[in-house]
Amino acid sequence: MARMKFLCDAERCIECNACVTACKNENEVPWGVNRRRVVTLNDGVPGEKSISVACMHCTDAPCAAVCPVDCFYTTDDGIVLHDKDLCIGCGYCFYACPFGAPQYPKQEAFGVRGKMDKCTFCAGGPNDDNSDAEYSKYGANRVAEGKLPACAEMCSTKALLAGDGDMVADIYRERVMRRSGRPQTWGWDKAYGAGV
Amino acid sequence: MRNAHSDYRRPLALVALLAGALFLGGCYEDAGDVTLYEPGEYKGEPDPLLDDSGTESFNEALRERFAAGQTDR
Repeated sequence: MARMKFLCDAERCIECNACVTACKNENEVPWGVNRRRVVTLNDGVPGEKSISVACMHCTDAPCAAVCPVDCFYTTDDGIVLHDKDLCIGCGYCFYACPFGAPQYPKQEAFGVRGKMDKCTFCAGGPNDDNSDAEYSKYGANRVAEGKLPACAEMCSTKALLAGDGDMVADIYRERVMRRSGRPQTWGWDKAYGAGV
Repeated sequence: MRNAHSDYRRPLALVALLAGALFLGGCYEDAGDVTLYEPGEYKGEPDPLLDDSGTESFNEALRERFAAGQTDR
C-alpha cells in the first residue's frame, strides 16, 4: 500500500517560492495563511540551504493526538486531514506540530483564531469530492482526480517531491549516490519515525 | 357600555404576545445539532476519498502520475 510523503531536497531548492505560490493559487488560501513556506537555514552565509516546509502528514500525528475534539482523520495512504466543522480553533495542534503547519485565518479579540487550516496534500476534506463546499473550506482535491500536490508538481528543480514514500525515497537515494553526498531527509525522522 | 380602549387593547396584546413568542422562538437551538465528543472517536462527516484511497487502482494512478511528473530526467 502506498504511503504518501513529502520530501524536500535541500541541495536542489533554490528558494524560488514557486511551491508557496502554487499552493496559494491552487487552494485559494486566504490572506495571512501560508500552508507551505520556504525556510532558509544560515541565510546569508555561504552554503545556506533552503527547504520547503508544510504539514508532513506524520505517521503518528501529534496534532491528532492533542486535538480535544478529535477532528483529525488519516486516509489509508497516510494523508492527515481534518474536519473544519468540528474544529474549535483551540490552537493545541499548532503547539504540538513540530513543523508549525497549522494556521489560523483570524486574530481577533479574546484570542479567537477561527478554524484551523493546513496543507491537505491537495486531498480536500470530508465534504463531497471537488464540491463547492469542499473547495471553499479545504481547497482543491487533486488526489481524487489522480493528481499529486500542486506544490511538488510545480517545483522546477524537482527539489520538492510528493507521492508514494517508496518512490520518493528511491529517487532521493539515487540522487545522493550520484552526487556522493550525505542524505539529509529533513523532517523525515520527526514525521515518519527514526526507521525511515 | 364597553370601554373603547379595551376594544383595541386586546388585539394589541395578542399581537405583542405573538411577536414575543416569535422573538423568543428565534433563540431556540436544536440540541440535536450538538456533536457530543467521545475520546478517540472522529465524529465528522465521512470523507468520500476514503472509499478510494488504499485501493490498488487508485494507488497505481498516483504512482503513474508521480513517475510522469516528478522523476528525474
